[in-house]
Amino acid sequence: MVKVDGHEVPEGLYYTKEFEWLKIEGDKVRVGITDYAQKQLREIVYAELPSAGTTTKQNDPYGTVESVKAVSDLVAPISGTIEQVNAEVQSKPELLNEDPYNKGWLLILKPSSLQAELPNLMDFNKAVEWHKTLQK
Amino acid sequence: MKEEQVPKRIVIIGAHAAGVDAASAARKTDRTAEITLITEEKYAGYSRCGLPFVIGGQIPNFKDLIVFPQAFFQMMKLDLRTETKATAINTQNKTVETTDKNGKIETIPYDSLIISTGASSFIPPIKGKEKQGICSLRTLEDGESIANTVKNGARTAVIMGAGLIGLETGIALHEKGLKVTIVEMLPQILPQALDPEMAKMIQEMLEQKGIGLLTGKTVEEFLGTDKVTGIVAGGEQIDADLFVSAFGVRANTQLAANAGIASGETKAIKTNARMETSAKDVYAIGDCAETINIVTQRPALPQLGTVAVRQGKVAGTNAAGGYSLFTGALGSAVSRLFDTDCGWTGLTEVAAQKVRFETIAGAITSKTKADYYPGALPIKVKLVVEKESQRIIGAQIIGGEEVTQRINAISLAIQRQMTARDLVKADTAYAPPLCETWEPMVLAAEMVLMKLR
Repeated sequence: MVKVDGHEVPEGLYYTKEFEWLKIEGDKVRVGITDYAQKQLREIVYAELPSAGTTTKQNDPYGTVESVKAVSDLVAPISGTIEQVNAEVQSKPELLNEDPYNKGWLLILKPSSLQAELPNLMDFNKAVEWHKTLQK
Repeated sequence: MKEEQVPKRIVIIGAHAAGVDAASAARKTDRTAEITLITEEKYAGYSRCGLPFVIGGQIPNFKDLIVFPQAFFQMMKLDLRTETKATAINTQNKTVETTDKNGKIETIPYDSLIISTGASSFIPPIKGKEKQGICSLRTLEDGESIANTVKNGARTAVIMGAGLIGLETGIALHEKGLKVTIVEMLPQILPQALDPEMAKMIQEMLEQKGIGLLTGKTVEEFLGTDKVTGIVAGGEQIDADLFVSAFGVRANTQLAANAGIASGETKAIKTNARMETSAKDVYAIGDCAETINIVTQRPALPQLGTVAVRQGKVAGTNAAGGYSLFTGALGSAVSRLFDTDCGWTGLTEVAAQKVRFETIAGAITSKTKADYYPGALPIKVKLVVEKESQRIIGAQIIGGEEVTQRINAISLAIQRQMTARDLVKADTAYAPPLCETWEPMVLAAEMVLMKLR
């Protein structure tokens, strides 16, 4: 894990410019929001997430996260079918602030075209470089 | 078949305190609206109030003042257009005409329009005002320009105007080693904020620190051939390397006026409690928008950052189809001048007299910690009460620390229409390292009651 201007960027994940991360776990992927995103939003009070069984399309919004001052769309890093939604995040949205890369995960997806879509994401090295271009 | 809803188009002219908060509130109210922010400036979403502290060196870079980075606009799906000037509003067709830095003209349609065009530094008609080199401190570029003059070896500065901007800028330049003279037309500093005896405390402190203050002196002329090299004030010539205009700011209302949008008696854009202007679906907020004073219920133009963001939130909510009211302002403000904090809310005695209110004031000098506790600093609280209702209508506080939250407490007391009698019964806290047993606000109220007896 490295910190860019105080924002954590863990190794082994893929990233989008919509401030989300993706982790490959066998034939599934886990997604969530980045440390940068949670810090910009500050105390998150509401996470609106879809239900299991629905599908996502890469770059299409699938939900929102809302704080006292801000609201942001959640944009799908990959297309697929939602297998699991983190119910704990819905009842305790502060998990997104406290632990965005672990307990604050949002969805587990079964990707439909991972190999084709993965090149659209940033790997760790690219994500570190991109984080450097963002202001704090 | 499900009907496809057309997203609402919200256009905001101005992208600083008021504009960005309006955009955030609009987005929170409507997740699908197309929200466009237009600003002439290169940088959006920065804090103007922080500019003096970059000049003074407390904050390392001007860019550190950017509160809302590009990523914020992206996350909130806000279409930010910098270096783009809004040139005309058509309230009939509901469009805004813009010109970008390449001269490209565009007509942007709106369902709701929010005008947050701010205010501009104003120089009165003084002989020689067209000469070069008179700085103001409004934009990030203004700040950079003053900082560059300092870096290039300026040794002396003249500040014209002893309001908050003038004083904060003067102190910043003094801290950079310049010899600073502040010229004020009125007989006291901070004339809008403090009663004369309170202003005198600050003036003496500033003079002790080495700032030159010329009160009751009008700037009569700018001297120099092309570039200003000196001024004449009260018949006296003062030469300097740097000249800062802090006479005051005027609401930027031209764009609105050209569209037939009404201004009020403060010469700022007239608004109602929803921040709506005289034109349908057009709102105005921040330094260009008139509001009402909570105490006097008369038109007011506080031109403060806190007012701007609160008005922005209200206008943004309404513009997006929600409902919210802004019911006026007290003009609460605080500042740190060297190591003295000062703040005020509501009316001074002088301002109260202007609206023909009769007042009783109580002023108490106390300490910021228990008197015996090392490091206790003096603090003076002045409370202004309307005679008949005994309602608190204003306060001024000067002290070494702990001013801000007392101002906020009294501001709330005024908003809730509390009387001196209510404040006397305040249930306050105490510990020797933090405050005195008897809260000075309470003692000031006690003094008012004694005078009312």
